[in-house]
Amino acid sequence: MGITHFCFGLSYLTALGMDLWQGWHPSRWPRLVSIVFSVAGLFAHTVFLALHQPSPASPYGSLLLLAWVFAVFYTYGNLHRKPYPWTIFVLPLVLVFVTLSLVFLRERSADEELWFSGERFWGMVHGTLILLASVGITLGMICSVMYLIQDYRLRKKRNPFGAIKLLSLERLETVNRRGINIAFPLLSVGLLLGAMRLYGTGTAPDWTEPKVLGTVGLWLVGGLLLYLRYGAHLPGRRLAWLTIATFALLLVTLLTSHPFAHGGTR
Amino acid sequence: MNLIAIGCSFRNTPVEVRERLALDDAKVARALGELSGRFACEAVILNTCNRVELYLARASEPPPGEETVAEFLGELHSAPAELVRRHLYSHAGADAVRHLFRVTASLDSMVVGEGQIAKQVREAFERSQKGSATGSLLNVLFPQAVRAAKRARTETGIALGHVSVSSVAVDYVRQVFDHFEDKTVLIIGAGKMGRLTLKHLRELNPKRVLVTNRSPEKAEALARECGGVAVPFGQLDDAMVQSDIVLSTTGASEPIMTRSRFEGIRRKRKGGPVVILDIAVPRDFDPKVGDCADTFLFNIDDLTKIREQTIAQRQKHIAPAEAILERECKKFCDDWAHRKHVPVIRKLTESFDQLRQAQVKKLFGQLNGKLGDEERKLIEWSFRQLQNQFLGAPIEALRDASKDGTSANLLEAIRKLFRLSDS
Repeated sequence: MGITHFCFGLSYLTALGMDLWQGWHPSRWPRLVSIVFSVAGLFAHTVFLALHQPSPASPYGSLLLLAWVFAVFYTYGNLHRKPYPWTIFVLPLVLVFVTLSLVFLRERSADEELWFSGERFWGMVHGTLILLASVGITLGMICSVMYLIQDYRLRKKRNPFGAIKLLSLERLETVNRRGINIAFPLLSVGLLLGAMRLYGTGTAPDWTEPKVLGTVGLWLVGGLLLYLRYGAHLPGRRLAWLTIATFALLLVTLLTSHPFAHGGTR
Repeated sequence: MNLIAIGCSFRNTPVEVRERLALDDAKVARALGELSGRFACEAVILNTCNRVELYLARASEPPPGEETVAEFLGELHSAPAELVRRHLYSHAGADAVRHLFRVTASLDSMVVGEGQIAKQVREAFERSQKGSATGSLLNVLFPQAVRAAKRARTETGIALGHVSVSSVAVDYVRQVFDHFEDKTVLIIGAGKMGRLTLKHLRELNPKRVLVTNRSPEKAEALARECGGVAVPFGQLDDAMVQSDIVLSTTGASEPIMTRSRFEGIRRKRKGGPVVILDIAVPRDFDPKVGDCADTFLFNIDDLTKIREQTIAQRQKHIAPAEAILERECKKFCDDWAHRKHVPVIRKLTESFDQLRQAQVKKLFGQLNGKLGDEERKLIEWSFRQLQNQFLGAPIEALRDASKDGTSANLLEAIRKLFRLSDS
């Protein structure tokens, strides 16, 4: 069909440009253009994923899939425009994911199954759970960034009706909390499934694989986040920084190769 | 358009004169009755603390002017007409429409973007309508003014933010908290500004309001007034542990809360931010309290600064709001002119159609059998062309006069010249 990363990447970039222009010079047409390009970008992205079916086991696949999920968030938010421009925090992240996926772009290897093929059911479930957990952590990160900006503005006694109107701290903290609360159990089950698959190969699993280490580390940090929030009642600003650190660890984990990629042990 | 707006406002009239010219409900009702009875005009009286304005309209002749209105108001208030006339301004026709739209959109208010004036304009109109003092023009003009004002307020930033210190305080609270049904508000002291801010905070429907004061009687009185619970001043620390929003407004000469004392309170308080609105002068809270984790402290200077920034920001949106109102004003005037001249043009055309058809019928009767179909059609066409050329100039003149707002006399002249009935 001829759809490439540049099709949807440029569409998202144009939509972002229109959103930023709208912030400076409010008028109707930039918003309309932004909606058209975001819908077009999402359509192209969806078709691309359906045709190529990148595996979430690979950095390339996981980044593109994450970008798609947040592109859906962005497009929904754009169509149902609320007074809070949280969409301008989401789209740059989508563009970062798409750009990073290009760095890890590669052809599917002969021994790598299609994600939707159903040949490796538990592998698919494992990948999906880790992906959904990544969505939760990324959402938490976005809210944490907005939380820190809002916290800074409030401490500096800035005008609450400045250039960018943000959600309240409580609302941002709630969405962050829900993101992590959903991510942690998904990550736990996904990790368990992954461990079972590793042991299921019949050979001793290599626990020093970066992907494995990263995912286990992510689980530990997620658990720590939950404890610090509910047990130690850590202040919101510190929790926000910790969530951002968790996202950084997530990104590193996503960018490492999966043990089952490139003909790795099954 | 036979419309005039006459009045006085804070811009040109000192408050003592405005107070003298202010109308209570009984005087407004009496004035409306007299204006529609004595002067046979539509009338709406806008009476606020910053202006007294009369909007008068008549169907076929100009409404009363400044002199007449000055005498009328002087009579109403038992004041010399000259005193009244000196302070009056007037706007006629399209200028009156423009003035009303600007007033309703708060562009003529003391604080641009204030929200009360549109409601006051609407209430003034409803009062006149109820008293049967309005007619075809004002019944259309005032609702349009309210709509135009709404457009100006929603499509520009003239109404952005709040401009009272207590409203700014609540704005900050809303930047921290999303919902309030599980929040506790603590008010320390009973100052006037504190009561006003508490009134705004109570509109958020918090779960509980705690009141404390060095004087237990004052605490009890305020607690009864606001539906809260009085707490002994000695239990201030415990009350602060439970509170999410603290409003401090004592008259203490020294801070009542130091950082170290507050840190002790903070340690006992499990999770969640706290907002402290310290609107006392001198301040009740040590400024270093604001450096504590999850604590947001705003004093009166912070709130006043935001208020001034908001007012300055609103000023930037005046030009776009004026542009919207100017378009709305032009649209209203064009629609009104169209509304007046279209029926007259229609009647004129119908009248000539009847004359033409009667004449053609008579001619065909006299030439019975001598004309073929082609010739009949040619004669009908010629008569129609003659009618169009004859009426073309007066209709165009009427349309041009409507655009200039000078069509009233021309309409009347055409009605009389061609003996057009009003039915």
